[in-house]
Amino acid sequence: MTKKRNLLRVGACAMTAALVLTACRGGDSGSSEAGGGITDEPCPDAVNPDNGCIYLGAISDLTKGPFAPLAVPITDAQEAFWAQVNEDGGVGGYDINLTDHIADSEYNPELHNRKYQEMRDDVAALAQTLGSSQTLAILEDMKADDVIGVPASWNSAWEFEDQILESGASYCFEAMNGVDWAVAERGVANKVVAVGYAGDYGGDAAAGVEVAAEANGLEYVALETPAGQENQTGAISQILGEQPDLVYISTGPAEMATIVGGLAQNGFTGTVVGSSPTWNPALLQSAAAPALEALYFQAGPWGPFGTDTPGHQKMRDALGDVTPNDGYTAGWAWSYALLATLEAAADLDGGITRENLVKAAGELESVDYEGMLPEDAGATDGDPNETAFRQSVISRVDPSAPTGVTIEQDFTAGPTVSDFDFTEPCFSLQ
Amino acid sequence: MELLQSIVNGLGQGSVYALLALGYVMIYKATKVISFAQPALMVVGGLFTYHFTREFGLPFWIGMALAVLCGAAVGMIVERLALRPMIGKPVFTLAIITIGIDIVLRILANRYIGVQSKIVTYPDGTRIHEVGGITISSQRLGLIAVTVVTVVALALFFRYTRYGLAMRATAIDQETAMAQGIRIGIVFALAWAIAGGLAAIAGTFVAAGTAGMDQNTWIIALKALPAIIIGGLDSIPGAVVGGLMVGVVEAVTATYQPDVAGWLGNNFSLVAPYALMLVVLLVRPYGLFGTKEVERV
Amino acid sequence: MTTIVRSPRLRGRALATTSYAQDMGLLNTPAKRRSTLVMVVLGFLVPFLLTDDLLQIATLGMISAVGAIGLNLVTGYAGQVSLGHAFFIGVGAYTGAVLGGSETSLVVGYDLPMWIWLPGAGIVAALAGLLVGPLAVRLRGLYLAIVTLGLVFLGDHVFREARSLTGGPGVGRRGPDLNVFGIDLRESGSVLGLELAREQRQFLFALLFLIVFAVLARNIARSGVGRAFSAVRDRDVAAAIIGVDLTKYKVMAFAMSSFFAGVTGALYYAVLGVFDPSAFGLLMSIQYLAMILIGGVATISGSIMGAMFIAFLGRLSGEIAHVVPGITTGSGGGGVLTVFQLEAILYGLLIIVFLIFEPRGLFGIWLRIRNYWKGWPFSY
Repeated sequence: MTKKRNLLRVGACAMTAALVLTACRGGDSGSSEAGGGITDEPCPDAVNPDNGCIYLGAISDLTKGPFAPLAVPITDAQEAFWAQVNEDGGVGGYDINLTDHIADSEYNPELHNRKYQEMRDDVAALAQTLGSSQTLAILEDMKADDVIGVPASWNSAWEFEDQILESGASYCFEAMNGVDWAVAERGVANKVVAVGYAGDYGGDAAAGVEVAAEANGLEYVALETPAGQENQTGAISQILGEQPDLVYISTGPAEMATIVGGLAQNGFTGTVVGSSPTWNPALLQSAAAPALEALYFQAGPWGPFGTDTPGHQKMRDALGDVTPNDGYTAGWAWSYALLATLEAAADLDGGITRENLVKAAGELESVDYEGMLPEDAGATDGDPNETAFRQSVISRVDPSAPTGVTIEQDFTAGPTVSDFDFTEPCFSLQ
Repeated sequence: MELLQSIVNGLGQGSVYALLALGYVMIYKATKVISFAQPALMVVGGLFTYHFTREFGLPFWIGMALAVLCGAAVGMIVERLALRPMIGKPVFTLAIITIGIDIVLRILANRYIGVQSKIVTYPDGTRIHEVGGITISSQRLGLIAVTVVTVVALALFFRYTRYGLAMRATAIDQETAMAQGIRIGIVFALAWAIAGGLAAIAGTFVAAGTAGMDQNTWIIALKALPAIIIGGLDSIPGAVVGGLMVGVVEAVTATYQPDVAGWLGNNFSLVAPYALMLVVLLVRPYGLFGTKEVERV
Repeated sequence: MTTIVRSPRLRGRALATTSYAQDMGLLNTPAKRRSTLVMVVLGFLVPFLLTDDLLQIATLGMISAVGAIGLNLVTGYAGQVSLGHAFFIGVGAYTGAVLGGSETSLVVGYDLPMWIWLPGAGIVAALAGLLVGPLAVRLRGLYLAIVTLGLVFLGDHVFREARSLTGGPGVGRRGPDLNVFGIDLRESGSVLGLELAREQRQFLFALLFLIVFAVLARNIARSGVGRAFSAVRDRDVAAAIIGVDLTKYKVMAFAMSSFFAGVTGALYYAVLGVFDPSAFGLLMSIQYLAMILIGGVATISGSIMGAMFIAFLGRLSGEIAHVVPGITTGSGGGGVLTVFQLEAILYGLLIIVFLIFEPRGLFGIWLRIRNYWKGWPFSY
């Protein structure tokens, strides 16, 4: 009897409490109505105290994940980029703050999602979202929140997502250009082996190699290799067994160096072309250095750190005294697209809002990359087959260059990629 | 020929595993704990060598010797700060603590590594030796030689020194050893010091490899786990044999599995040591050389 | 076995028991009854107190609590240390995703309702647990731990290669849909007249899920099966001699634990959305082990506390790291450490410190508090 009454009493209390508390939890569950990261208040420590403040977020791999060595300089460069924008007077009456909402996801989709939930009401856009499955993990919420994002990868699939602002040629196009270049300049005529990680990055590149191999009449073999320099024995012996004259690698730098070193040790004399993330200047100090100088070329979306363009110069000046690394170059170059979107949104009716950012992101006709990329590389106004940027840069090893590579062939779209009908991602992510 | 080459490759890689496995076994014998901090000790040791050779300009071998001492010191500090207060607590609590240590040390190491991998220059490291069509780099040869020397030195240490005897006694029965006047704290510290030093040797040679020490290199040390189980958790020869076996099995599967047993999927060699471990354990539940546990009610 | 006679409670003597059944009762003291009631009521109030991001962490914490309870059944109660929990969670997650998820160009999915995929995930994981059982019969202690760790690595390989089920590494797939009796937990809106956001709905469902499985586990633990588990843990040879079938109970412990792991995996990733095979690695196994060690071995409430602690630990170390002076908030550059590195270090340090200073776990702290108030004001 008493138990029942107790229950009733507690239940009644709970109900009243619930009603009261629902009120105090208030509107924080909504998405964009609470300003959504765009305020008229100046930023903390504002450069231009008269400007309002736009908060950007970045979810990256900053400590323990596999891409931390690249992601840290990427994020540093992005911070420097937006600081520079503020120095130059801001965008449309706003300063930009990236520093307050940088999060470390350890390259884990789950943490990526959690970090996004933490910042989703407080940022207007994501200046960086690193990783493919990681970005997919938040893509639906981004769409619901009208948040656009800059990916820290070059997947061809991003060309088909309106709210993802990619810059530069995808891994897939990069691979096509790499193969075309090797056929034209290095006399490759028989067989190409594409060796790379499984999944988004390696898969995208391998798809490009396959298309280019077919176009050039080469025999094509694909190999998958796991991460870890100690795990490359299999890849090396399989490549040697195939006897190709071109190897296209899409792994990390350690794996690439181990493979190239192993190939050279066994007398391989063909050509090796790697996707842009395969290079790290420290490799020049390794035992594989002579092999790399002899065999390796890097296909990349833009010129390396030491390239002579106004954009590169501005980046080097802004960063000051840092160990040169092409993570910086990537972080800096990617940011131009978001800057252009902010500028375009400022001209729209209603100024910079999340909705206008989404609208502007789909209507860009050009982006001023200050020479790092051609202006039309940033176009998004049209379907991907028209707007996707198809030119890549080929670099060779050069120990005297700041990041150990210099341009061998400047922006070029090879015959394969120029004829390629881009109606779906090279490597589908979902 | 291809088989021979892959066995030679495997022995080189296996030497790293063997050194690491010895470290695990040292700690296990003294404290009955599996230390998950071994990966971090390996990374830290390799970075010490890098620092001594690159920043101070010391020759490789002297740099490595100093790194071994520093690695041993790190091992002792870890033992004293985090594990000594926990004596007598369940071993799994201790294992989890070593994981905490691993996280902390690795983050500090990553801070040091930064954006560029740290590569130790091995003297004459680019030279390739060729014997009857089998190639091996001088770095790998050096690694195998150092492993042999280390294992022999350890064996002599256990056989002929006071502390070696104390450690053996402790491994057999802690309480009896204490009753005989052995200071168990020293034994624990020594076990961790040896493990730290062994990890530093392994780390040095990993850092002197083709790609050096980057933020992901620590994973190599986990390959020593199947090695110690295959060899038997408390067996020193077992650790060496297990480590070499894991290296060879990995190299041989990497070479032949794609053609012979493609249905196992890409890169089965990654997990081949674990498959081998399961098979060995089904036949011999205490590994190849492990002591069988005597059960009493 | 004698038949158990139901004896009446002694009036006014709430703590006196007159039969074994009473002593082993689910809520055997009035204090437990009251506190449980209060806890449950408070639990249902939480979603109206916390912001969405915290609610999501709490939701995931409660779901992983079920997995921790599962691990506690096999490791805490039956004494079989398993580092293979991540594998069983993975099996559950992919079973759930395949049965309840949608088909895409990369992966298969059958769009089945929750009442099929949730138990299905548990059952398939339990079958996987049955396969491991025989190993457990042969091995003990650290050998068993490392062998179950081998299972995680083998599982990782299978998850990476079975791309039509898992999407493969770096790509991943979506978890199952979350529809309960026609209510979509992935959307916000009103339920029974109450305006509930997505996170609130998920929290309430996770709370119910946790209560069901916590009661189930408590009942297993206090039944004959639970006593057999304890006998195996304390001395397996002795247990065998008094007639406990070792093979049966070890296999049973693994199967039950895996069932809990399976349902956890399926529901966890249904809430979370996208996941990829790298999730089910050594780190996850260790996290679950840390949950039960931090919470308290062989206690249900300890498992829950430990799971919540681990769930909030990342957030906690993040908050602490941001208020430590002299740490740069940027991603790199100057300073001894970045805030992110400090965060990761704190994560490790908090686990170490916690285990050094309170080896009995959160449950130990709770026991101390309880004993203090039990004798109040005469406590010492």
